[in-house]
Amino acid sequence: MATRRILGIETSCDETSAAVLRLEDGRPILDSLVILSQDVHRIFGGVVPELASREHLRTIGPVVDRALAEAGIGATQLDGIAVTAGPGLVGALLVGLMYGKGLAYGLGRPLIGIHHHEGHLFAPTLEDPRLAPPFVALLVSGGHTLLLDVEAWGRYRLLGQTQDDAAGEAFDKVGTLLGLSYPAGAAIERLAATGTPGRFTFPRPMLKQGWHFSFSGLKTAVLRAVRASDDLERDRADIARDFQDAAIDVLVEKTARATLELGRDTAVLAGGVACNRALAQALSARLGSAARVATASPRLNTDNAAMIAAAGAWRLGLGERSEFTLEPFDSGPLPGLLRD
Amino acid sequence: MIALAIETTTDRLSVAGRVDGGEGRTAARALDGARRHAAALIPLIDEVLSELGTTLPAVTDIAIADGPGSFTGLRVGASTVKALVRTHRQIRVSAASTLMVRAAGAGAPHGAVVLVVTSALRGELYAATYLVDLPNTVTTIKAPTLATPESLHAQRPDLLVADAPEKLVERLADQFQVPLVRGAASLPMAKALLSLVAVPGGAVPIEELDDWEPSYGRPAEAQAKWEAAHGRALPDTPSDRG
Repeated sequence: MATRRILGIETSCDETSAAVLRLEDGRPILDSLVILSQDVHRIFGGVVPELASREHLRTIGPVVDRALAEAGIGATQLDGIAVTAGPGLVGALLVGLMYGKGLAYGLGRPLIGIHHHEGHLFAPTLEDPRLAPPFVALLVSGGHTLLLDVEAWGRYRLLGQTQDDAAGEAFDKVGTLLGLSYPAGAAIERLAATGTPGRFTFPRPMLKQGWHFSFSGLKTAVLRAVRASDDLERDRADIARDFQDAAIDVLVEKTARATLELGRDTAVLAGGVACNRALAQALSARLGSAARVATASPRLNTDNAAMIAAAGAWRLGLGERSEFTLEPFDSGPLPGLLRD
Repeated sequence: MIALAIETTTDRLSVAGRVDGGEGRTAARALDGARRHAAALIPLIDEVLSELGTTLPAVTDIAIADGPGSFTGLRVGASTVKALVRTHRQIRVSAASTLMVRAAGAGAPHGAVVLVVTSALRGELYAATYLVDLPNTVTTIKAPTLATPESLHAQRPDLLVADAPEKLVERLADQFQVPLVRGAASLPMAKALLSLVAVPGGAVPIEELDDWEPSYGRPAEAQAKWEAAHGRALPDTPSDRG
């Protein structure tokens, strides 16, 4: 039985993460996943890049060591290193990337740089090994909102993307307006669950137009509602509810329409916003028996190294290798992205 | 001893290596351009080791310049060294201030007192003074610190190493009337760092590499503003962890 072990490293934003993925005859088994979140950014209401970079450097060694220890292996038992190369905060990426390069060079093992978005697409496969393309994927996080037709691994057709704020960014900004701490996604979901729907009517931007997204108008409408409120304590939950409903309506409508029009039998929700249970429930309800919804557990939907290891295992399995000259990047298309 | 030195704190990236024994051998590489550090560091290390006819598992010592300097450059070097040593635990790591590295590479005569001054931006300087007697010893007379030009009057050095705005360098040169090393010759180079390995008063051994981080010289700007506004240390940062 052929066994390969891939170390994943992810430092694209404010999580320092490492994971060991074991492949038994190609079947992925997650042996360990360590995620260390940086709390300091809550104070600033958003990620401070220089602080994030410093914290990554402080924690990358212990995080990798713990991932290896939890997997019960030493570094020499690794068969490859997969590390996020971008997109993300370049200073933060640099720490993980240089650490990954150093490990790969020191161990004499192959290195593969992974596009962060591709990692998110692979995340659900760690819990649902049967999941395979083709499927439609909605990748929603604090930095990205992408609607993709995943024709095959490595063949990604961009259907739509946000024209302004990312969905998660809108959740965080609305959270700030409502006095919630950063990051606000989970807090908005909890608050919305206690709110009464329909008290506020927020716009559903571009709901029926194409497959692109826009969230800045929605965010502005919430700002106006907050400013107009004479008792924000009374209105907070209802505003959260109607904001979430509006955002989910747009995300669900476009994802469902793409899934149905393209005849895919699966819709994948990926990224931090995919942790929102109301989103998955609404998409399942909208698709009915026409397609199933696949999404990872919250630990694998937020930024993590397991998804990087999974994407890395696939690319290393194809024989791909990154050079030690690999550099981080703050933005850039998915490898294999197709545009019509 | 097979030693490797890595300098990533300025626009010039450099790597040097030395194999002791017999006549000894050294190799060095350098590259200009701050944005090229991440891409070039491992290949330069590989070139140096290849020229020396050795490989990483045989290396006994790695020295790193630990700032102050480019925040990004510091992290490129530090994260790489942490990982290299993670794969070969026998490697000892030591660190020297970037200012000491500049002093060591300035060609100072034996026993010279060297004042090193570099720009810290915002009208401030990093300054340090060393008594340099290589290859025997280095003595830190005044450790690196943030300084103003006015605060440098106290002691007249034998040699001034300055990498700062032109007007300021000229003012200091007029003030001290001593030999001046400036421009490219003042940059910290890995070869000079190599000369500080295992030298009393030179590069300092790092016992707990995981806990070690470079000397940034300044807190992050957001942290500084927050602390100034709140009159206390930012929670969850090293200054608050004691």
